[in-house]
Amino acid sequence: MTKKYLRMTLNERFQHLNLFINFTILVITGFVLKFPEAFWASPITDIPMGMTLRGFLHRLCGVAIVTLGGYHVLYCAFTERGRGIIKDMIPGLKDAKDLWETLKNNLFINRPAKELKMGRFNFREKLEYLGLIWGTIVMTVTGFILWFKTEWLLYFPMWTYNVALAVHYYEAILATLTIIVWHLYSVVWNPEVYPMSWAWITGHLTEHEMELEHGLELEKIKAGEKGKLVEFGEAAAVGGGRVYPLHQERGEKGISIRRLYGTIKGLNETIKNWKGE
Amino acid sequence: MKLKDGGSKAWVVLWGILPLFLFVGFTGGVAWSDNSFCLGCHQDDSLKKEDARGKTVSLSVSEAVFKNSVHRKLSCSDCHTHIKDDAHAGGGKKAADKSVNCATCHGKAEKEYQQGLHAKMIMKGTERAAYCFDCHGKHNILPSKNPKSMTHVSNIDRTCNRCHSDVEFVKHHALGAAIPKEEFKKSVHGKTGEMTCTSCHGSHNLRSLIDPKSTIFRSNIPQTCGSCHPDITKEFTESVHGVLAARGRSDSPTCTTCHGFHGIKAKVDPDSPVNERRIALTTCPQCHAAERIAKEYKITTLPVKSYYDSFHGLSYRGGDTYSANCASCHGVHDIRPSSDLKSMIHKDNLQKTCGNCHPGASENFAKGKMHAVASITGEEFGEKVVGWVRIVYIILIVTVIGGMILFNFTDWLRKTIDHRP
Repeated sequence: MTKKYLRMTLNERFQHLNLFINFTILVITGFVLKFPEAFWASPITDIPMGMTLRGFLHRLCGVAIVTLGGYHVLYCAFTERGRGIIKDMIPGLKDAKDLWETLKNNLFINRPAKELKMGRFNFREKLEYLGLIWGTIVMTVTGFILWFKTEWLLYFPMWTYNVALAVHYYEAILATLTIIVWHLYSVVWNPEVYPMSWAWITGHLTEHEMELEHGLELEKIKAGEKGKLVEFGEAAAVGGGRVYPLHQERGEKGISIRRLYGTIKGLNETIKNWKGE
Repeated sequence: MKLKDGGSKAWVVLWGILPLFLFVGFTGGVAWSDNSFCLGCHQDDSLKKEDARGKTVSLSVSEAVFKNSVHRKLSCSDCHTHIKDDAHAGGGKKAADKSVNCATCHGKAEKEYQQGLHAKMIMKGTERAAYCFDCHGKHNILPSKNPKSMTHVSNIDRTCNRCHSDVEFVKHHALGAAIPKEEFKKSVHGKTGEMTCTSCHGSHNLRSLIDPKSTIFRSNIPQTCGSCHPDITKEFTESVHGVLAARGRSDSPTCTTCHGFHGIKAKVDPDSPVNERRIALTTCPQCHAAERIAKEYKITTLPVKSYYDSFHGLSYRGGDTYSANCASCHGVHDIRPSSDLKSMIHKDNLQKTCGNCHPGASENFAKGKMHAVASITGEEFGEKVVGWVRIVYIILIVTVIGGMILFNFTDWLRKTIDHRP
């Protein structure tokens, strides 16, 4: 059995799935409005009340994504793992260098190719995560202006509404293309992972995948593991080499995200163990 | 008794008039005779002759049919005044001048008819133009109130369509391909059963489309329709379209421009050009997206274009009927220019117009250009801002996405090269 490294907990996978579904519906229902005569719009435009349903779905999924965003903020603020994600997500000079060196490697300017070791989140993922935050904020603000037009126009002139309309449309194009070009390349068309990186379903990466994309992180994990093995020899073996620290879920009382997270985490582990063995 | 005693005067009158009758009677030949004299020969079904064009014409007259007709009390010679005596039978083709002058009794109808299109076509020598008998019948004429009459309201369409739904006839008379029969039958007017051809076209004085006195002449159409729809005609004549139409502007729409002609349908019918699904797609744009009209009247085609790109237009194009179309804001028959105080789109009324669908619409709804087109050279501040937003975003999209595509392409290339066996 090859060693697996936890990439996404079950909770995070659900967040991703939620985003995936809602984003897709938003893209479809949004662009159907902009291109109502396109052939791919016909499933919506052909049915009676299709456009009304479209508008309703678009708002519904918009609300869902905003809610998910809010949940994600809480998740990042109140869980240790969440705080860790934010800490590792902060872009630095190294990311710019990594990008530059990758480009030089790709264009055969570096001969031989420089071996790049990237952290838990490489420059690709950081760029995308920041883009996602930016896009969600822009789309939420402009989206609510468009939704609550009457209220907005109580205080602001008409042209601000038109600007919001234009921004919502062009940001949608930018976001959709980013997902198709950047994200889908990383996880689908990238020859290293093709036909797909399974992390969004299974939650883990193989050691080989870790080496390629997150070399620095792998080294860190291995260094940490050594220490752990000394400290709790048997416990680490039971964990199957999973290295992210678990919460102490017992001893906490009342409803807290920590506790909920702990519960989900437990479920997560169970599912993973069942799949892995 | 009375006559003998004091009625000498009556006898004088009688003896005075009798010779007159005798005189007329002798000169007229068959005039005196009973109808049975004529019918003696003409009741024969096989009685035929050849006319000037060599066609065989039946000369038989059914007594029963004639006895049923409105003219049953008249004698043959009352109408066939040119037939002098029974010698006409042997005289060959030209001997019997059977022409009948209805005007002898129906002077008013004749006068109207003479001004109409059918009479004019006859004067031009057209072969198949309607005479009196073409529509009213010959010996079988019934009063138009009789349901069996050719001119009863339920039969008029059939009477007219004997010629006007004949493809050859329509072609020959350059009536285009217009065969109104089926169209009218399916129309909202045809279905009432109370409307027929003559309701709009007139009957005896039916005139050509290009005759300014015609009921269907362009600028008379609102009046013609107004005979049944007076309120709408009043609204229309005050509208910007009605005013221009009354001035004789042939580009200005009239009732038929939007509603159609023979096949007028109820607006709930999806085939109707004024159906809510078609107003903003075909009916208004037929002129307002036409360059010819736009140039002449110094209006632009931009309103249509900007509507299509607006939320209202986009949703409408996708099939949304709750979304505003042209008529939602501009009105229907009483469309007025925005400078008109009564106009729905006058700046003082605009807030109310928007409020029809957007309850609580504030003043800001009514401010600024409605059919705005984003452009950095736009007239309005808002148009310019949106124009710039557009340009900035397009540059952003091209650089960001373009950069990503380039980067990923190099990445893909490198990895595929590295993985070459």
